[in-house]
Amino acid sequence: MSEDVKSPSVARATTNVARIGVLRLTDSAPAIVAHEFGFFADEGLDAKLSVEPSWANVADKLAHGALDAAVILPPLALAMALGLRGPTEPLIVPYCVSLGGNTITLRKDVATGLSRNAAGVVARLREIGAEATLGVVHDFSTHSLLLRYWLAAAGAIAERDYRLVVVPPARTVEALETARIVGFCAGAPWGEVARRAGAGSTVAHSDDVWQSAPEKCLAVRESFAAEAPDRMAGMLRALYRAAQFCDAPENSTYVAALLSRRRYVGVDSHAILSSLSGGPTGSNTSRFLKHAATFPWRSHALWFLAQMRRWGLISPDADLKAAARLYRPDLYAAALAPVGAPIPASDAKIEGEHREDWLLPASPAPIAMRADAFCDGALFDPASVA
Amino acid sequence: MSPRIILIDSDQRRANDLSRTLFEAGFLDVTLVDPRRVPIDSVAGLKPDLIVMDMSLPDRDALESVRSLATNARGPIVVFSNEDDPAFVAEAIAAGVSSYNLAGVSSRDMRLILASAIAIYRRQANVESELAAATAALAERRLIERAKAALMARRKLSEPQAYRWLRNKAMNESRKIAEVAASVVAEIDAEAKPAKQDPDAP
Repeated sequence: MSEDVKSPSVARATTNVARIGVLRLTDSAPAIVAHEFGFFADEGLDAKLSVEPSWANVADKLAHGALDAAVILPPLALAMALGLRGPTEPLIVPYCVSLGGNTITLRKDVATGLSRNAAGVVARLREIGAEATLGVVHDFSTHSLLLRYWLAAAGAIAERDYRLVVVPPARTVEALETARIVGFCAGAPWGEVARRAGAGSTVAHSDDVWQSAPEKCLAVRESFAAEAPDRMAGMLRALYRAAQFCDAPENSTYVAALLSRRRYVGVDSHAILSSLSGGPTGSNTSRFLKHAATFPWRSHALWFLAQMRRWGLISPDADLKAAARLYRPDLYAAALAPVGAPIPASDAKIEGEHREDWLLPASPAPIAMRADAFCDGALFDPASVA
Repeated sequence: MSPRIILIDSDQRRANDLSRTLFEAGFLDVTLVDPRRVPIDSVAGLKPDLIVMDMSLPDRDALESVRSLATNARGPIVVFSNEDDPAFVAEAIAAGVSSYNLAGVSSRDMRLILASAIAIYRRQANVESELAAATAALAERRLIERAKAALMARRKLSEPQAYRWLRNKAMNESRKIAEVAASVVAEIDAEAKPAKQDPDAP
């Protein structure tokens, strides 16, 4: 092949590198497993996994080319594409990483009797009054949108009935203890970490707001995808293989132990285990494979965009349909159909339609799906987005 | 008027170094903020013109949120993203510096301030790797001393002879002296502790 190249090791180093950013979160699991178990290497990739301290770092490094791809919050990827954060580096989302996994966690003394009770939480926030402050991990986050949705369904609007501030997940325990916030919405394992520290108590999960809610996605620099389509397809295949591993309950203890390493999430493995499929039943769970968790639904992109517009995070005249083209189910199919992954027959679906398990038409075989209802019973038809 | 600069860094010494450099360059209004002690929201109350921050802190997301609220802008402006020199940006990212231009700091001043920050953050990274190298050298030296002492006792060699023995063996086997010393020390340790009495023995 390239035997005539003088220094094959150098040539390999410069042509097969894929730099991937993740944060200290349970849903970094497939990327970490793919890296540690050599799944990227099996696809011929020299993957450099970089654990970043903040979403701002991930966004900057993607925008300036210090990362090729990252496990990221879909609203942040969309905000970057709309030019709301730094330079508009063209990104694509050819793959999604996880469904669910977030908790709404309140300070222990505030949370009593409020489990799955949005109306009760709203009443408690009203009692606390103007200084009732809740934390989310980023302005453009799934957490901000899910928390706003859940509380709005019970009548409370952010910045009118409660304050919303950004608190990094690793500082939430401290923020609860010093009473800077009365609660927060963050990804696993941070709700469980707060519970174990005796600071907080979880009152709701992603599922209580929107069943099977999409969580992290994989954003890739468009230039990387264009220059190295094979490398990108290999990256998706390695992540998909890791997702198969991470989603199997019998592997959860391995995954939790691996993620607990200081270089990754750096918290007790049991706090991580509780949000994996093999953790205690009924707990908050991140799903990595089943129920089409990895498919980049255009209807998910449009839902995020519609919610961002609802809360004034993007301008009313922004072209949402154009922004949603960031999601690339075509590239997903091109990379994963050859390895037998079922490919949904459609790129979008009506969200919120199913209160029970259902079957999604897909090729070569239909996909078993979970309920996808919203807490307020709403339906979201992507075709209705103007 | 000197622009009001805030340095957010949990490394007190590095922040002090940078503020001294800026002071000498004529930027007199520099405030240090340690994010472990001061909630990041309070930074907005200090009404800075420019914030320079350590990129390895988790607090950037909170800062960006506060910033966009305070100025009602559509989103945070990261200074180096407005620079048209990608190499300069890459350098800032590699050095671990991010910065936010909040008001009217001239681009010449900003570049100067950022360049100082990059130099100081990078110098610290170098100092750390030098320190690691020095620590490793010290450990090697200790190993060689132990091996020499052992050889002197067992083979009745003088100190220079023991060193020459190590050096010749290293040359013959094309290994580093420290590696040869390590195997000599390992041999002695193995003899001193019979395996069956050592629960930690492999």
